[in-house]
Amino acid sequence: MTRLVAAAAALALGMLPPLIAPVPLVAAVAALGLGLAALAVLSLRRGPATAAACVFLSAYALALWLAEPAIGVLGATAEGLAVLALLHPLELARAARRAVVDARVVRSQALGWLALAAGALGAAAVIAVLAGGLASSVPLAAAPLLAAAGALGVVLGLTTALLRRTRAL
Amino acid sequence: MSGHLTPLAVSLVIVVAWAVALAVLTARPEPFVAALPIVLVLGLATRRRAPALTVTHEISAARVIEGEAVTVTVTVQAPASVPFVEVLDAVPAACAPGAGRPRALLALAAGGSASLRYDLHAGRGAHGLGTVAIRARDRWGLRAWDSVHTDRKVVRVYPRAVPLRSLPRPVQTHSSVGDYVSPVLGEGIEPGDVRRFAPGDRLRLVNWRASLRLGTLYVTQHHRERNAAVVLMLDTLAQAGPAGDDTLDHSVRAVASLATAYLARKDRVGLLTYGGTIDWVRPATGALQYARIADTLLRADVVFTYVSKDLAFVPPRVLPPRAMVLAVTPLLDARFATAALDLAARGFDLAVLMVSPVDVTRRMLRGAPAERLACRLWELERRASFDRFRRHGIAVMEWRPSDPLEPVLAAHGRRRRPRVAG
Repeated sequence: MTRLVAAAAALALGMLPPLIAPVPLVAAVAALGLGLAALAVLSLRRGPATAAACVFLSAYALALWLAEPAIGVLGATAEGLAVLALLHPLELARAARRAVVDARVVRSQALGWLALAAGALGAAAVIAVLAGGLASSVPLAAAPLLAAAGALGVVLGLTTALLRRTRAL
Repeated sequence: MSGHLTPLAVSLVIVVAWAVALAVLTARPEPFVAALPIVLVLGLATRRRAPALTVTHEISAARVIEGEAVTVTVTVQAPASVPFVEVLDAVPAACAPGAGRPRALLALAAGGSASLRYDLHAGRGAHGLGTVAIRARDRWGLRAWDSVHTDRKVVRVYPRAVPLRSLPRPVQTHSSVGDYVSPVLGEGIEPGDVRRFAPGDRLRLVNWRASLRLGTLYVTQHHRERNAAVVLMLDTLAQAGPAGDDTLDHSVRAVASLATAYLARKDRVGLLTYGGTIDWVRPATGALQYARIADTLLRADVVFTYVSKDLAFVPPRVLPPRAMVLAVTPLLDARFATAALDLAARGFDLAVLMVSPVDVTRRMLRGAPAERLACRLWELERRASFDRFRRHGIAVMEWRPSDPLEPVLAAHGRRRRPRVAG
């Protein structure tokens, strides 16, 4: 069942970029992602799953870059949730292999997913509103630098927070 | 409990980094927004403490017979809710899970508990249980806390004994009361001889018919009913066949069956396991003696050693005079034949039950013509080796483990002359 969720997420991630930009290059990258995802779903290995997630995101970004559609927060959040729905169920499937799964685990996971979806949509909406207000005050020349610094800050901040917490345990 | 980030967390960090990089490279906010749910999940993983878990491990029975199942119950309790707990109960190599599985994914509510229950089928021997590996995870499986709980328990799986009615009869008996009719006259049920009345004879022994015919008092003498000492000698020098169905397992079951049957006849039964290590149980009677023999049989295993064993190591009380020695062997090691012939030379009443390794090995093979021929040659070679025992007057019984033991012993009982000496 959990493998089916991951497979469905992979299918959605593979279908979305060619719909945004029906270009052979985007379709090829999405197909590569689907191949990696199929390998991950069948073998339950983490490496192909992570690679598939990165390839799907690349196809999505490439499609956006080529088609240049209007900014859509909802679609992007759904893309992120789908990436998570690809990686997380595979981890669950690994843990459930040759094991008895308590019904409460499934219930707990389902509730967690619902809460996450709602939280992610809310957070995306808040950030979109804040970013809209901030964009007008940022000079155009400084925007790329600010974006790069922000991106680096997010990744470093997350990594540091996780590692510090792990050392404290 | 030791906590650590799971590989999934590392994967998610890589995906977030990649998404943010894509957002910067393509100058589009969508990849960054796509990374938001993942960032949210990673953020949740930073604020979680190690859960306090209490694990209890229970088994339904500490002593079972081969083929019976032991139900194992592992219960996990937690004062706070734990959304995701992996439980793995370590199963010994000689055991196989039956109904249920020794691995489970559980979710615990605050103050609640969850259980893992499964059946375990174990082979003969003493098996250690009670080591439970626990991995608690946060809801998203990004952080894990590992621990191992040990509550050591031993499950003893005794060999299954089959009821036997026909047994090899011992040639000599002992002084205690038993089931064998001794040629020595005395108190008993079986009538023996008639002789003249002597002072001191009991009045109820008077044979009135003979007395009236001969005009003087005659008494009927009876044969005594005596028991015997039987020493079961188990060959643990070598074994053949698949685990759980090898010649040693069949030999142990045969020894358990023979011990049960001889003890039921009030005989004094002892055990001698002859192999890399020599172990013994002195002959005695009663239910407690069976428990001693069964406990020794649990330990019976093939132990390789360069030190050659000799019957000189065995105390004389283990092999009492006038005891019948019943050797149970697949006859794969020549040292056992030497030891058995040594016993026969020392005057022991010896019978040998050969457990066929050919039969056990044949079942493992696919039945190719070359394999069938090899088995046939092996069988002929073994039969030729039996003559070595027969030349010394030793009774040899060949038993194929796929067949019941009773007919083999019954056929031997008919051939063996019932000359029980007191």
